[in-house]
Amino acid sequence: MINIKNLCFTYTNSKPYLLDKVNLKIEKGSYVSILGENGSAKSTLVKLILNLLKPNSGEILISTSKMAYVAQKVENFNAQFPITVYEMLNCHRKVLKLKDKNLILKSLQAVGMEGHTHTLIGNLSGGQQQKIFIARSLIGDPELLILDEPSTGVDIQSMEDIYGIIKGLNKNLGITVVSVEHNLKAALDNSTDIFEMSSGSGILYTINDYKNKLKEERG
Amino acid sequence: MFQYAFMQNALMASVLISILFPIVGVFLVLKRYSMMGDTLSHASFAGVAIGLVLGFNPILCAFAFTAICGLSIEFLRDYYKKYAELILSILLTFSVGVGITLVSTGKAGANVNSYLFGSILTVTKSDLYIMLILSIISIITLYSLYNQLLYITFDEEGAKVSGVKVKVINYVFALLVGATISASLRILGILVMSSMIALPVATALQLNKGFKHTLIYSIMFGFIDIILGLIISYYINCAPGGTIALTSVFVLVLIIGSKRALSRA
Repeated sequence: MINIKNLCFTYTNSKPYLLDKVNLKIEKGSYVSILGENGSAKSTLVKLILNLLKPNSGEILISTSKMAYVAQKVENFNAQFPITVYEMLNCHRKVLKLKDKNLILKSLQAVGMEGHTHTLIGNLSGGQQQKIFIARSLIGDPELLILDEPSTGVDIQSMEDIYGIIKGLNKNLGITVVSVEHNLKAALDNSTDIFEMSSGSGILYTINDYKNKLKEERG
Repeated sequence: MFQYAFMQNALMASVLISILFPIVGVFLVLKRYSMMGDTLSHASFAGVAIGLVLGFNPILCAFAFTAICGLSIEFLRDYYKKYAELILSILLTFSVGVGITLVSTGKAGANVNSYLFGSILTVTKSDLYIMLILSIISIITLYSLYNQLLYITFDEEGAKVSGVKVKVINYVFALLVGATISASLRILGILVMSSMIALPVATALQLNKGFKHTLIYSIMFGFIDIILGLIISYYINCAPGGTIALTSVFVLVLIIGSKRALSRA
């Protein structure tokens, strides 16, 4: 699904690189959590995959154009922004040039938020808002779903709901999931693979290998 | 009062700008870019001054200058990234510099005041045609780019990932802001232009509605502000810019007051 080869990137156009010769191969249907310390360039890697940033060298090959993104924080969104759930999802549908209006209801049903169609997004809790952003990403039947810390600012119940939804999308619909994670437990419970980043690069582990590695490190 | 040709011209021009301004305003305010209106209205001052000194149509010159400044803002936005508002200050300073230098040479004539404060007496038929063309082009463009603009306003990164040509649309929008400001010069005047971008939207935001309703209410409040301000300016014989600005503040205060009274009741 994604093949990253010798990827180098820096914001300042001068060495040292923030990402230095990163290699990563993500298979179709997998659920990869990206872990690492703050500042290990996890979100930067995701932005490069999404083509929001341009690499200095190396290449990123993605086998699908049906890609969706759930950001850690939507740039201009605040509680006062005057937009309803329906308006936001409908805007996304129209931008993707999809004619079927039922897609909005279907995507809301997939995250259990169909009762909030005409609610202002600012009036929803953090967890509900995150479910709405996931619902938006489902319009257009994505094959690749990229999330950046999906449980940031979310209560425990909503967190469980959100990971349940993401895991369901991966298992039942076969959507490949790439998720930047700060929540180790969620990553261990849900992922098929872990990409651990440090010092500008990273190593891909299967979930069992990563669990064994953690056991060894913790004695 | 509408038996006079100048009032008919002023009324038609006011109806056009009362629709156009809040549409542009709602996107600018929600992008937290309402200062762009301020910068481009000052750019229009420079454009008017160039037109008056060189003997060209001041509204067309204002459009050309605001268009160049609008495009420059978008072009330079990446240059300063996190300090994008600095570009607005730089272009505002440049525009005011050009405007004041040219006007103070005395070659612009005494006509400058009518552009600064707005004047219902000076809207000619040819001005009206220019305003009509700029307004129709702007409204059609805004209508056809509505969803892309809303997406960019709400979530620029998400819009890019969804395939919206964000940079191109931001350039087109900057041109539209320039066109809106140039079309409104005669009635509103340069000094109150930016307040008309923000005030009807600020009033509509008090109603806590979705985007479409906020847009409709912004147009409604913009229409009330401009038409009422125009009528008052006719009766008390002053520049419409001032009365329109005062009406818009009064309507905002009225809505805030009514909202508070209703929430207490």
